[in-house]
Amino acid sequence: MVSSDLLRGHLETILLRLIGETDRYGYELFSEIDGRAGGRLVVKEATLYAVLQRLERQGYITSYQGDVSGGSKRRYYHMTPLGKANLEQGIREWHEAQEIINIFLRGNIQ
Amino acid sequence: MKEIATYVERTFESVPDSQRKSEIMQEIIERLEDSAGKLEQDGKAREDAINKAIVDFGNLDEILQELRGQETGKGKALSSLWFAVIGSLLVIALTVFINLYYSPGVVWFLYPTFAVIWWPLCIFFFGKWRKGR
Repeated sequence: MVSSDLLRGHLETILLRLIGETDRYGYELFSEIDGRAGGRLVVKEATLYAVLQRLERQGYITSYQGDVSGGSKRRYYHMTPLGKANLEQGIREWHEAQEIINIFLRGNIQ
Repeated sequence: MKEIATYVERTFESVPDSQRKSEIMQEIIERLEDSAGKLEQDGKAREDAINKAIVDFGNLDEILQELRGQETGKGKALSSLWFAVIGSLLVIALTVFINLYYSPGVVWFLYPTFAVIWWPLCIFFFGKWRKGR
């Protein structure tokens, strides 16, 4: 289980990626992260909702009220073109960060 | 479950009412009730189930901050700095005018200028200090 500090900075990018694939609602994002990471990335739901609020305020995603299912309306999130640009930048930054950290940390310890 | 709704409502009390706030509250309440219900089905006592659901969900402070950040924060701090800068420039301009018009022989406008310059400086450095924390 990886400490959340290391991944926190990339949570926005991860969420943008998931929302970019298809419009999703809050709990769906939560279970998707849990499922794909095999439970190795622990994100609190409260953190998730906070990040979603932030992404929406920054104009990276929009939200709309979906169909009623099981007695409650779900709020779906949709990625905007601005969000897509930010996602692409986030992916680029992650690759670069990986290269830089690899320079120092790859290979066996002497 | 009444307890969950009460808990969420009390937590969000300090945030000014808005459409966004009631929507997010509704969503959180539903999520909490959902997971508390599941825990109860697994054989947990009602109170334990509610407590565990709330703890598992995580700290709501982050969400509160996001909701508050929409109205206050950066924009407000910046506008009060601009107000101070423009206000002090106007006061300085006025003293320069009075100085030159009534007593052009004595340069005294510098003294009130030094006094009034503290206004934008205070706002600027207070903002910087608060950002640093």
